[in-house]
Amino acid sequence: MNTITLQADSGRTIEFTNEIKASGAMKDVYFSPDRTYAVGVFRDKASAELKERMREIVTRYRANLFDQDGGKFWQQHFCWPTDIVCHNGRLGVVAPFFDKDFFFEHGSKNNDMLNIRGKDKEGKWFASASNREKFLDPREKGNWLTHLKICLSIARAVRRLHMAGLAHSDLSYKNVLVDPTKGRACLIDIDGLVVPGKYPPDVAGTPDFIAPEVIATQHLDKTDPNRALPSRLTDRHALAVLIYMYLFYRHPLRGAKVFDPDPVRDEELGMGTHALFVEHPSDAGNRVRRTDLRPQALPWGDPAERPYTMAGPLLKDLFDKAFITGLHTPDDRPSAADWENALVRTLDMIQPCSARCDIGWYVFDNSRSPVCPHCGTPYRGKLPVLNLYSSRTSGQYRPDNHRLMVWDGQSLFPWHADRSLYPNEHLEDRHKHRVGYFQFHDGDWHLVNEGLQGMKDITGCRDIPVGGSVTLADSKQILLSGGQAGRLVQVQMAGS
Amino acid sequence: MRRLPIYLLLDTSASMSGEPINAVQNGLNLLISTLRQDPYALETAFLSVITFDTEARQIVPLTEITDFQTPDIQARGVTALGDALRTAAQCINTEVQKSSAQVKGDWKPLVFLMTDGLPTDDWKPALQEYRVARPGLTVCCAAGPGVDTAVLSEISDTVVTLDTADSSTISAFFKWVSASITVSSRKIDLTKDDAIGGDLPLPPAGISLIKT
Repeated sequence: MNTITLQADSGRTIEFTNEIKASGAMKDVYFSPDRTYAVGVFRDKASAELKERMREIVTRYRANLFDQDGGKFWQQHFCWPTDIVCHNGRLGVVAPFFDKDFFFEHGSKNNDMLNIRGKDKEGKWFASASNREKFLDPREKGNWLTHLKICLSIARAVRRLHMAGLAHSDLSYKNVLVDPTKGRACLIDIDGLVVPGKYPPDVAGTPDFIAPEVIATQHLDKTDPNRALPSRLTDRHALAVLIYMYLFYRHPLRGAKVFDPDPVRDEELGMGTHALFVEHPSDAGNRVRRTDLRPQALPWGDPAERPYTMAGPLLKDLFDKAFITGLHTPDDRPSAADWENALVRTLDMIQPCSARCDIGWYVFDNSRSPVCPHCGTPYRGKLPVLNLYSSRTSGQYRPDNHRLMVWDGQSLFPWHADRSLYPNEHLEDRHKHRVGYFQFHDGDWHLVNEGLQGMKDITGCRDIPVGGSVTLADSKQILLSGGQAGRLVQVQMAGS
Repeated sequence: MRRLPIYLLLDTSASMSGEPINAVQNGLNLLISTLRQDPYALETAFLSVITFDTEARQIVPLTEITDFQTPDIQARGVTALGDALRTAAQCINTEVQKSSAQVKGDWKPLVFLMTDGLPTDDWKPALQEYRVARPGLTVCCAAGPGVDTAVLSEISDTVVTLDTADSSTISAFFKWVSASITVSSRKIDLTKDDAIGGDLPLPPAGISLIKT
C-alpha cells in the first residue's frame, strides 16, 4: 500500500495509506500511517458551499471551541475535524482518530461470537434492549451510573454547540460514540453543522431521531416556508431521544399503535404528525404491547416494567417536556443546558444497589426504604441524604432542589459546598479535587472534612476544621463552607 | 418490532458450476458474517434463500441473522426463473406479516435475484404472481455477460450486471448486497414507496447498475 502525502489548507502535511478503511454515506475513510488521524474523502465533488462550511469548521468554529478557556475539556467530547485537504479533486476532511475506549475490547458474548472485537462502539449496540441482552459481553455493558454519565457527556457537547450558535443537525447513535465501561461519549461526523441563516442543513437526519415536524413537512419543497429543517430545536428532540434510549434501551415513540396499514406510511405518521409518547400518562393509545417484544428485549423493552420515572424527578420532568408538551411544540422542548443541569443533579441522587446487581445503580426515589428497581433488593443500612440549601440574602437559606446521596465511596466536591461553582468546562483545576468524603464507622456515617474552610455543625454549634469530622444524623444542619456562596446541608435519614 | 425480510433468489443451474457456485457459497458466508457485525441488521433483518435450477425450492426459510446456517448449494439442471418467482411469491405470502388494524406488520421484503442465463420456463405468468405478493425493492443481478438483461428489466427497475462471473466479482456483489441491507435496515423508515428506493450504495468496480 502506498502512502499519499498532501498539504492541507493550513499548510500542515497530511499523510494517509491509500486503502479505504470504511465507507460512509458520503465519504470514504483512510487512515494515517501512524493511526493518529483519519481522512474522510467525499466521493462526490464538493460544492463551493460545502468547502466553505468545512473551512469554517476547521478554522473559526474550531478555534472558538478549543482555543479558549476550557478548550481542553471539549477535546474529550468531540472528534472535531482539524484540516481540509484536496485529493484527486475531491474534498477531504482530517479528524483525529477515535480514542481506544471507543473500540470494543471484549466485543460479544461467547468469546466474541459476532467477531466485533476491535470495531467501534456504535451506540446502537447499547441502545437496544435485545442487542444488549443477546449479544454484548457483560464487560462491555457498563451500568446505570456510566449510562447517566454518557448522557451528561452528550448533553454537554450539544449545549456547547448550541451556545456557539451551531446545530449538529444529525444527532443519532451513529454519530455519537459511547463507552459504557467508563461512561464517556464523543460526537463525531461534525461535517453537517448547521449555522442558522448561513449554512442550511443538507440531511434530514437519521430515522429514530428526526423531529416530528421535519418528517411531517418533508414532502414540501426545501424553499417552502412551512418546511421544517434540522435546527437547534430539532437537535433538542434528537438529544431527548438519545438520552431516553441510553437509559431505557427502547424508543420513546415506538409503541403498538398502527397508524396506517402501509408500513412506510405508518412510520411516517408514527414518527411525524401522529407521534405519541409510549408512556404518555393520559393517552394510552401507543403503549408497548409486551407480546410484541422478543423475550430478550425484556425487561427494558416494556415500559410497564421499567418506567421512565425511574430516572428520578428531574429527568422525568424533562422527558415530559420533550415527549408530551414539546413533542409537537418545538419551542417547549428542554434545552441541552436543561438536560445537563438535571443530569448533574441526578448523578448526585444515584445510589448503589446493595446486591451489586448488573445494572448496579438507581436514582433515589425519595422513599424511606428504597428498593433497587432492577433486582428488587431493599437498600441495606442507613442511607443519609444531604439536601443542599444556599443563601442569596444573608442568613436565609433556600432549597437548591439538589440532593447528595451518601454511600461508601461518595465524595464531596467544591461545587457541592459552594453555589458559585459548577462542574463544567469553566471549573478550575484547583476545584476538581474532592474536599470531603463519607465514612461508615461504628454504625454511623461521618463526613470527613478534607479541605473546606469554615465548615460548621450548626445543630451542634461547633466548627469542623480540616481533618475533623461530623456524624450524620437526621435533621442535622451542617454549613459546608464559609463565605457568601457556602452551602448548608440538612441531613435526612433513609434506609434501615 | 417490524422485521425486514430479505429474500435471496439464487440461480443454481449447471452453468453456474465450478468457480461461480463456489463464489456464491463464499458470498453467502461473507454476507452472514458481515450482517452479524451490524447492530441494525441483527435487530431487524431476516433472511431466506431460494435456489432455482430445474425447479425452485426455498432452502432456508425466513430466519433471524443469528440463527442463519449457511446452506450447501450445488449447481445442476436448467434455469426455472419463473418457478423461482412463484416460489418467492408463495413464501412472501406465508412468511411476511401483513399489518392489521391491531398489529404492525413487517417491512416490505427486499429481494435480490441472481442469475447467469436465460430462463427456461414460462416466467411471465409467474411474474404476475410475484407482483401480487407486493415485494418491496427487487434487485436483479445478471452474473456475467451471457444474461439477457431485457428479461431482468421486466422484473425490476433495478438491475446490476457483473462484468464476469468470477469469484472476485461475485464476492464484490455479495459485499454490495450486505451494504445495501445494512443501509436499508437503517433507512427504510424515510423512503417513499419501495423500501430503499434511491438509497442503494454505489456498486463497486466490476458491477454496473442499470436503472431502466
